[in-house]
Amino acid sequence: MATFRKWCRTFHRELGFLAVGLTLVYAISGIAVNHAHHWDANYARTREEFTIEPPGTGPTAEIEPVVMERLAVTGPVKNTWRASETEFKVFLEGGGYDVDLATGQVVRHGFAKRPVLFDLNFMHLNSGKAPWTGIADVYGGMLIVMALTGIFLVRGRRGLKGRGGMMMVLGFLLPIVYAVISRG
Amino acid sequence: MGMYHLQQRVQDMRFLSSILVSALLLILAGFAVADDGATPAGKVYGEGVSAPDTVLVSDLLATPDAYIGKTVRVQGLAVGVCEHRGCWINIAGDQEGETVRVKVKDGVIVFPVEILGDMVVAEGVWTANELSMEQTKQVCAAQARDEGKEFDEGEVTSCMTLYQISGTGAVVASH
Repeated sequence: MATFRKWCRTFHRELGFLAVGLTLVYAISGIAVNHAHHWDANYARTREEFTIEPPGTGPTAEIEPVVMERLAVTGPVKNTWRASETEFKVFLEGGGYDVDLATGQVVRHGFAKRPVLFDLNFMHLNSGKAPWTGIADVYGGMLIVMALTGIFLVRGRRGLKGRGGMMMVLGFLLPIVYAVISRG
Repeated sequence: MGMYHLQQRVQDMRFLSSILVSALLLILAGFAVADDGATPAGKVYGEGVSAPDTVLVSDLLATPDAYIGKTVRVQGLAVGVCEHRGCWINIAGDQEGETVRVKVKDGVIVFPVEILGDMVVAEGVWTANELSMEQTKQVCAAQARDEGKEFDEGEVTSCMTLYQISGTGAVVASH
């Protein structure tokens, strides 16, 4: 048992150090995306409304230069699109304009990646797929090994047979009770 | 430092080295799998595109039932993207104002908001979903919300059929 416990300690310690960075990635991003209905965890967005002189609803070829001139766009334009008789969109890097051709009302949308958090979410949600799939699988395996080896690290009243055991049961009960309740 | 501790440290270093080498090999293997180079130039999403011919959006919308269940490839400007999960894009058609939605499985493909205004080639199966009255109202309400318009439930008098591409891949040619 002493040798087994020694191996548990070695695995738990070494994998534990290795897992610090990855755990922070998943934990911080987990909180961020857990509240996706409250905020955009990936992009900081801006919205500004203003009015220009109505360009009119004539042919797109005639309207487009007028819109561009009245918007006084300074940066490079990716593309434009006539969504309907009165809706005209201008796409820019990091945003764009929605123009009401009849009224001249303009909505300027902007978006920018949230520093660090965007990358953490990208990894957490595995948006890039391979090779992160393999890394995430290995990390999952590491967590399993750490969880199981952690059970045997402490002996006595604070270990599996005492307070530690009760905490472990609590940790099992929490998701089980939630699953039962949430299923109704 | 005692001999035992020295041996222990050497063992630990070997243990750590083997883990780091394994992780590095995993990363390299993953990149090798990711870069298959089988699709047209541009950033590839999902399985990319492989269908030989592009179907005009105007043709799809003119005779939608003729394409149900078929794999279609469309091309156009990305004019809308799902802001929450990146799970769909709207592609502008060849006729002014026409769009077709490419819906992908949540998390399988994630379209970033940066692709708005970029030229996209997308592929997938053309599907038709007959909506109930309640679902029709929900879809109309969501569309009105996205477009910043007011929605009146009373204006919805009949159920709608929602046509879209169940997307498997795309290639985005950014500027």
